[in-house]
Amino acid sequence: MSASTHEEAAVSTSGFEVPPAVHRAAQVLAGVGLGILVAGLAIARERALTSLLTSGFYFLCLGLGGAVFLALMYVANAGWFTVFKRIPEAFAAYVPWGAVTILALLPFVSSLYPWAKPGVMETDHLLHEKAAFLNVPFFAVRMVVMLAVWVGFTWMLRRISLRQDAERSLELAGRNVKVSAVFLVLFSLTFCLAAFDWLMTLEPHWFSTIYALYNIAGLLSSTVCAITVTAILLHRAGALPQLNTSHLHDLGKLMFGFATLWAYLWFSQFLLIWYANIPEETVYFVTRLHGTWAVAFYVNVALNWALPFVLLLPRPAKRNPSHLLRVAAILLVGRWLDLYLMVVPGGQPDGVALGVFELAGFVGMAALFTLAVTRTVRSTPMVPVGDPYLVESLHHHT
Amino acid sequence: MSAPVLIGYFDNEAQVLDATRAVREAGFVLHDVYTPYAVHGLDDAMGLKPSRLTWVCFGAGLLGCTLALSLQYYTSVVSWPLNVGGKPFNSFPAFIPVTFELTVLFAALATVAAFLARAKLFPGSRRSVLPRVTDDRFAIAVAPREAPSELDAAEDLMRRHGAVATDLLEEVAS
Repeated sequence: MSASTHEEAAVSTSGFEVPPAVHRAAQVLAGVGLGILVAGLAIARERALTSLLTSGFYFLCLGLGGAVFLALMYVANAGWFTVFKRIPEAFAAYVPWGAVTILALLPFVSSLYPWAKPGVMETDHLLHEKAAFLNVPFFAVRMVVMLAVWVGFTWMLRRISLRQDAERSLELAGRNVKVSAVFLVLFSLTFCLAAFDWLMTLEPHWFSTIYALYNIAGLLSSTVCAITVTAILLHRAGALPQLNTSHLHDLGKLMFGFATLWAYLWFSQFLLIWYANIPEETVYFVTRLHGTWAVAFYVNVALNWALPFVLLLPRPAKRNPSHLLRVAAILLVGRWLDLYLMVVPGGQPDGVALGVFELAGFVGMAALFTLAVTRTVRSTPMVPVGDPYLVESLHHHT
Repeated sequence: MSAPVLIGYFDNEAQVLDATRAVREAGFVLHDVYTPYAVHGLDDAMGLKPSRLTWVCFGAGLLGCTLALSLQYYTSVVSWPLNVGGKPFNSFPAFIPVTFELTVLFAALATVAAFLARAKLFPGSRRSVLPRVTDDRFAIAVAPREAPSELDAAEDLMRRHGAVATDLLEEVAS
């Protein structure tokens, strides 16, 4: 094609200079947010810990989601996403940071998880039966192993991709596929365990086998939104001129699809528990349909599915960057509310309490995530010139 | 209609895209473009308006959704209320799976049916097929706006864009 030579000439091989003001603001917000959380550990320990868990897990999922997105695309031999693949790669670079935020929970396990509270094993027969699994040393070992697997694989995926830039060999593209395939299997196993361990055991009497899959749907939905937002912002800042309407259209379709997958799994969990009506299962929804939690419960479905579904239904909606930004914002807020609804009601059944600690946790972690992403974007060429799918991606047309 | 139609045959996708755009921009009436498979970007090149099939899909989905909910409401609340596991007769969550299935079924079937009807693909429909356009050839059909003599210029234009053969047909079904 005659146009390709022009486009390739326009491909920049340097990183994007993120405005220093953005970097500075992120540093300040990260400092303030995390400072308030640390202070909160002394003043209102439970609130600070649930906020740390909710927002820490939220952004760790975005980082991990970046790697999962890459792995899915590699395994499917997809070529459309290559032009913006440095964005999920930059997300993946956050995983070590996110791992630290989750590890920060370890000293406080006994304040956060009912099964770890001193003396509870003697009085609670059900928990006593689960003691072989639910004990602090084993919990810590599982956490460290899972985080190590994620840090290792995200590091490998990024390293291969950066080596491609320099070496431009097809052999590396093949290695991407192999590493991704192994990662996807390990990810699905470890992530299920993480969702059970870190979130579900907050209410250790209750259990739901679809819980992990439902969390994966949330992870995918929010990751696609974050990728879309970052891609549009970078495009507007002039760093990603190759991003075209067709790329946005496909990202919009993925947002629509994953939001609907989330709704499908969310409802599958709800319907079976509602239908069977077994007290040890319904307790989860009884708490969440009581008082102000009920409002959050319905708002959650609206934000994560109903609104995005309607707003993304028409074709032009998925091709309009401003519209996609709005819908992505709705879904990103929705994902946080979804996690908040998983983490908090168990220990705080009286009702929703949103305040400075929740805000500080979210803003602090968001700033930390922004720092990790902008740092990576700055030091890495924006367009992966060594990827064999680059030309296909530049000409992507839906 | 009996106005003659000029057919230009092409060997590859890139040429047919260029030629389609050129023919349209030169002001000729683009009758249709025939390709062996869906060509990305051809809608744009032909200047087609967005498909109206989406509205059929949306309307039928809405209809399926409404019918499913009303049928379940009528059977389990009005016509023959049954106590199932102590649940209320009007148990909305229990209606959702059937509603989802019927919405999808209605939307899908109606969309395919509307497409077949619009493309006149049904038993008894007689359509002439241009040679090899279902195999390995691409064809552009151009109708004259006023005088048939315009078609000479169109033929020239398509030849310049790589047409391997041209043909004048008296009539092509639309």
